[in-house]
Amino acid sequence: MIEVVDLTKRFGDVTAVDGISFTVRPGVVTGFLGPNGAGKSTTMRAILGLDKPTSGTATVNGRAFRDAPAPLTVMGAMLEAKAVDKGRSARSHLLGLAATIGVGRTRVDEVLNMVGLSDVAKKNAGGFSLGMSQRLGIATALLGDPEVVMLDEPVNGLDPDGIMWIRGLLKELAAQGRVVFASSHLMSEMELTADQLIVIGRGRILADTTMEGFIAMSSQHRVVVVSPDATALREALVGPGVTITSLQPSRLELEGVDSRQVGETAARLGFVLHQLTDVAPSLEEAFMELTEDSVTFRASMTHEGNAA
Amino acid sequence: MTTSETLSASSPLSTVNGKTTNLARVVRSEWIKIRSLRSTWIFALCILLIIVGFGVLSAMVVSGDITPQGGGQRPDAATRSPLGIVLTGANLAVLIVAVMGSIVGAREFGTGMIRTTFSAVPKRLPVLWSKLAVFIAVVLPVVVMGVVAVFFLGMGILDAGGYETVAWGDENVARNILGTAYYIVGLGMMGVALGVLLRSTAAAIGIVIGAVLILPALASALLPDSWDALLKYLPSNAGNAFTSNSQLGGILLSPGFGLAMFTGWIVLAIAAAAVVLNRRDA
Repeated sequence: MIEVVDLTKRFGDVTAVDGISFTVRPGVVTGFLGPNGAGKSTTMRAILGLDKPTSGTATVNGRAFRDAPAPLTVMGAMLEAKAVDKGRSARSHLLGLAATIGVGRTRVDEVLNMVGLSDVAKKNAGGFSLGMSQRLGIATALLGDPEVVMLDEPVNGLDPDGIMWIRGLLKELAAQGRVVFASSHLMSEMELTADQLIVIGRGRILADTTMEGFIAMSSQHRVVVVSPDATALREALVGPGVTITSLQPSRLELEGVDSRQVGETAARLGFVLHQLTDVAPSLEEAFMELTEDSVTFRASMTHEGNAA
Repeated sequence: MTTSETLSASSPLSTVNGKTTNLARVVRSEWIKIRSLRSTWIFALCILLIIVGFGVLSAMVVSGDITPQGGGQRPDAATRSPLGIVLTGANLAVLIVAVMGSIVGAREFGTGMIRTTFSAVPKRLPVLWSKLAVFIAVVLPVVVMGVVAVFFLGMGILDAGGYETVAWGDENVARNILGTAYYIVGLGMMGVALGVLLRSTAAAIGIVIGAVLILPALASALLPDSWDALLKYLPSNAGNAFTSNSQLGGILLSPGFGLAMFTGWIVLAIAAAAVVLNRRDA
């Protein structure tokens, strides 16, 4: 479990992280989302003990990571994929790190195989592409078979195959009961992977919720109906708080009403429906809306709360 | 690259019986790291070749086996001690070892690797001790081998040329030879410490070579004699006190004090590196 309590980190006049608190639990993939510069990396660096917090604490499994007796077995992390020493092979890189917890070649070959780098294990890691470096970074994180896996932008630089692979990997790690904490600045990278979302903007937590909760929070939930009786159906559904737009004669887009109500109304009046679809807001949109400005966000959330 | 590998082969949370991270394991980690860089062994070879090669060359020039090109003046054997002649290469090797030390200290800061290292050893200080230990493990044997080998080779050449020689058992000879080895490795350690302190290979090299090796010579040449009382405490002058016989009429410290002073400088550099390493955001 990762616990961050009232964490603040200032660099001179700049407050990178501003009194944030959150908990990352085992068994689910937790996405850590925010635009570039929101404070994601700083938070992760504080969790790793690389940056000393200005105030507040960050603990891993109940204590500062620094105090872990065998750090690599407690938490495996990847902050920058390219943070390897050029001039050393991937295997030697991992062997060197593995030695700190007294494990060797067998485990190193195992993780190289897991990330698909067995064939290039003896190649100079300095010559790796970003995608390969990313895999090596993930191999490093998995080396100690840790209870907590923390990855900064793990999808960065991966090809579509690689993205599929990392999604599967994160889910599998979580299913094994590990804490999986992965950051991204792109919602699209997280929406199929994360179960839990922590959204950060300008150093503050904007949302800490399940993926469903995040979707529900959005103001843009819509229902799309395609029906030959669209005009009549439209009249039947008009009411306070309902917004209806129609770009084609047979197609309606409704806000403020859910698909069950639409279906029941249509059945009661005997209208034919060709399509009835719940359109969850694109998470990207919801995310943009959320991180656009934290003040705007709070106002719109209050409004939503009253309307519901 | 294939992407079909999955984790399913390994059962969850069970494959690794990680042991406690302690100093011995961090030393082993740093040993694997330094060993797997080709530059380590290129440096080691260069150090050996320079100590032995230039020492032998120098002895051959003095003893007349080689005539400098262009009819340049032959170094006058009478003005230099036999030991000084055969340790010519050792004095050059100081530069290479200082450079190597600076690289060993600063290298990971340049690449960002240090953050990966600290993810495995978040306590940090064991990393500094280990880097120093493996640096010594590589450099010390090479330097000792080099100075001992060049002593016997060089004295053989001087002897064959009919020039003055000294024997290993003569007064202060062994001390000066091993002292030279210590001086070389010591400056390398200072390079490691400054590399960690400054996080930059170039800056560390600049300080070790510039401030430690060149500045004192420059200062003693430019400053009035009254400053000599102070200059003798500088690392290079303190080093001269136990690597040569010439006490230069009291300009240098006594050998014992020089050794302590030189060691003090190394300890100071390492302590500064340790304090900063511990406090600074990585």
